[in-house]
Amino acid sequence: MSTPTHDDPQPGESRPEDPRPGDPAAPDASPENSTAASAPGSVGTADMDEPPAGGSFARYLLGKIGGAATSMVLVILLGFFAFRMLPGDPVLKIAKERPMSPAQIAELYRQYGLDKPVIVQFWDYLVGIVTGDLGESYVYRKSVSSLIGDYLGPTLLLTATAAVIAIALGLWLGQLSAWRRNSLFDKLASSTSLVFWSVPTFWLGLILLMIFGGTLQWLPTGGMITPGLDPWSPAGIIDVIKHLILPVISLVAVVYAQFLMVMRASLLEEMNEDYLTTARAKGLNEDEVRRRHAVPNALLPTVTVVFLHIGGLIAGAVTVEAVFSWPGLGKLTFEAIRGPDLPLLQGTFVVFSAIIILMNLAADIVYRFLDPRVRRA
Amino acid sequence: MTDLSFENVSITYRSSTDRGDVIAVSDVSLDLPAGATLGIAGESGSGKSTLIMSALRLLPKSARLDGRVLLGGKDIKELSFGEIRAVRWAQASIVFQGALHSLNPVREVGKQIIEALEHHAKGTWTTPEKRRERMFGLLDEVDLERAKASAYPHELSGGQKQRIMIAMALACEPDIIIADEPTTALDVIVQKQILSGLADLVADRGISLLMISHDLAVLSAVCANLAIMRHGELVEYGPSDEVCLQPQVEYTKQLAGAFPQIGDPESRLHPRTLKPAEVHRAEPFAMSEEVVLEAKNLSVSFDTRRGRERAVRGVDLKLRRAEILAVVGQSGSGKTTLARSLLGLQEVEPGSQLAFAGSPLPRKAKALRTFRRKVQMILQDPSGSLNPKRSVYEAVVEGLRVQGIRDRQYERVIGALEAAELTPAADYLESIPQELSGGQRQRVVIAGALALEPQLLIADEPVASLDASVRGEILSLFLALKKNLGMSALIITHDLGLAWNIADTVAVMKKGEIVEYGEVDTVLSNPQHEYTQELLAAVPRLGSQSLVRNE
Repeated sequence: MSTPTHDDPQPGESRPEDPRPGDPAAPDASPENSTAASAPGSVGTADMDEPPAGGSFARYLLGKIGGAATSMVLVILLGFFAFRMLPGDPVLKIAKERPMSPAQIAELYRQYGLDKPVIVQFWDYLVGIVTGDLGESYVYRKSVSSLIGDYLGPTLLLTATAAVIAIALGLWLGQLSAWRRNSLFDKLASSTSLVFWSVPTFWLGLILLMIFGGTLQWLPTGGMITPGLDPWSPAGIIDVIKHLILPVISLVAVVYAQFLMVMRASLLEEMNEDYLTTARAKGLNEDEVRRRHAVPNALLPTVTVVFLHIGGLIAGAVTVEAVFSWPGLGKLTFEAIRGPDLPLLQGTFVVFSAIIILMNLAADIVYRFLDPRVRRA
Repeated sequence: MTDLSFENVSITYRSSTDRGDVIAVSDVSLDLPAGATLGIAGESGSGKSTLIMSALRLLPKSARLDGRVLLGGKDIKELSFGEIRAVRWAQASIVFQGALHSLNPVREVGKQIIEALEHHAKGTWTTPEKRRERMFGLLDEVDLERAKASAYPHELSGGQKQRIMIAMALACEPDIIIADEPTTALDVIVQKQILSGLADLVADRGISLLMISHDLAVLSAVCANLAIMRHGELVEYGPSDEVCLQPQVEYTKQLAGAFPQIGDPESRLHPRTLKPAEVHRAEPFAMSEEVVLEAKNLSVSFDTRRGRERAVRGVDLKLRRAEILAVVGQSGSGKTTLARSLLGLQEVEPGSQLAFAGSPLPRKAKALRTFRRKVQMILQDPSGSLNPKRSVYEAVVEGLRVQGIRDRQYERVIGALEAAELTPAADYLESIPQELSGGQRQRVVIAGALALEPQLLIADEPVASLDASVRGEILSLFLALKKNLGMSALIITHDLGLAWNIADTVAVMKKGEIVEYGEVDTVLSNPQHEYTQELLAAVPRLGSQSLVRNE
């Protein structure tokens, strides 16, 4: 039944034999081939209006990694100099708390390396960063790297759990709201999320703590694990999950609205696009039109926002960690500022910044996979 | 085989705003027997798109359909959703304007074709391999390389996207193909390829074709019968030849006349319109010998990923006072790049010479600003080039503000609007673009250019996105501006009819080079270069039915 069109040349129309794909005799697709006479039929192989092809992934990746590395260098520079400008001399503060002789004070300066010229300190700091040695905390008397190592895990556990739940919940409710725009579901979902959005995290945390930790005594009130339990035993894992519930709810409830709103807005924008009519005309039902065509396109602007906000989520975890005495980086930073514990501050600053830079890098990479148009950039 | 018939169809859009219900289609009856070809012509707002969308029940929920749409003898209103799903694409498929956004931008085009097969497997393409094979077969049929299956829509040209749309429409062997402006926004050469491809496929399989367009000539090239719609009503119906060549209704005559027949002396320098722009000078300006803009050996190159590409190669042009020059070529021929470089918006290669009023084009920002006061640009899509949140006054006055012209701003704006034939001008000052029609918007854009009293207008496809009747109005305005103000214009277009309608000289561009250049009468009546001949041959002619096959 399928008669190729070129077998039926039209009278009065110059339509040369098309180079068939796969035909070994077909000339290579190059603009020189299509002279004026052969232009009509050979559009498949050489189209002068065809946009140029995209660049390679490796080149894109290298470019983005280069950008991230530049940001990281700037963060490292800032991490050193910004904290040198903080008011308060850490040695004098320690000297104030207990009686010390000038010789002991000088010894402390020497120990902390604060007697050296700033440029030498900076060099030591750079060497330290490259070798993974972030110095020793003045307060904890432990290496900063091991301190951060101890506290990073709980923070990641808390924020990653909250991020996954908030993003999944926000995007799912957002696309349903947009699809059923102005329905009761839409109004309820949007307004509830906005109510939570306008509630301060610490306040919500405290309320949850009072109700479920205090009055009802269903859940533990603070910490990450009941002392004495092995976190890797089955009982320990359940215990950690119990400790996790309230802080995660406080974090999720406050942030999921932004994901919902972004997703709703970008899906609404896609809903009048012609390709959805094409999909409907093809016989897809509304669910398939939404899932296969509308949502993938609406996700594009959303992804950027989502990754940008994950950074904010980590910062937001500081207050939640404080309310629920969660042994995380937030708590550590808070104590470092009180010092000022310069090596610890520098360390946490660099680690927080690195996480955010990594998230943005991840966003760029994910975006390239989601949106073929970026592949040309 | 399936027949499609509309029986006394009326479609109303319910609306809760002050405008009340909008009647889009009223009491239309049309028949499309199996294997027939029918074209519906009409301007925007005529209800033609609404009518064809009703055939597959694709109207929005706010639309109410009265009367009956019968597909294969069944009223589509009575089908369940499952039945209508089965009808969509398997019995009747639609070719949308692929050049726009009818393809999902983030999915490979091959997969979009396969998706249609997955939904209507019909027992034939049951496995993924068979569907893939079928998809490749479809690409062969529409003359596309198989490698294009893994391309995304943005990687294809307008013509290639349209081919994908046609391949997709053919996928499930439908009995009826509905084509919605399938060649709008494509240039004549690609238009001819698409139309002849469509006509062949339809004739080979005995598929019936229902096509809508605003261009009578396009429809008459492919369809045996024509229906003309206006304001939701059917005004004329009959065989193509009769409707085009002996129209009975005044409106059809107007539509048929809107697109000039090249070589027809009546429409030479006389775009047909009901509202011609007024020429009020006793001795209208005519093309003089005074050269306004001159380009010698103009070349422009871009760095692309494929290496350095020469978009404009060694172009020589002269534009005299009160001359209208049409630069004609396909998309991708470099004509827009040429216009940009004439405006000083585009870096040119060393060795290129550009002179305005005898002196070289300035390069410094300040001198360029003064130069741009004398040369103004008009873009294709008036909806896109006007800020939707700004009133007409603000849109027109902006150029004056940028150029630092502070005296008599109000009078200048009124004068410009009146020169663009928006009268009384004061009525339009507070309107925002949304409240204006397409033609009025383009007039506002032109007024914005005129406010600066330029010596030269450069217009990039100024009428391509306008309705046929509005097209004539705007073209007649260009002619009047030349005659009244002695203005020169360089008009970029893929439409040879436009050159015939208003231009004094024409330059045919191909791949960055001007292949033929001269007086319109000479070039279009007796083209020397084979490319010009090819372009001319590709222009659809009224009532010619050049692509219809009567077997």
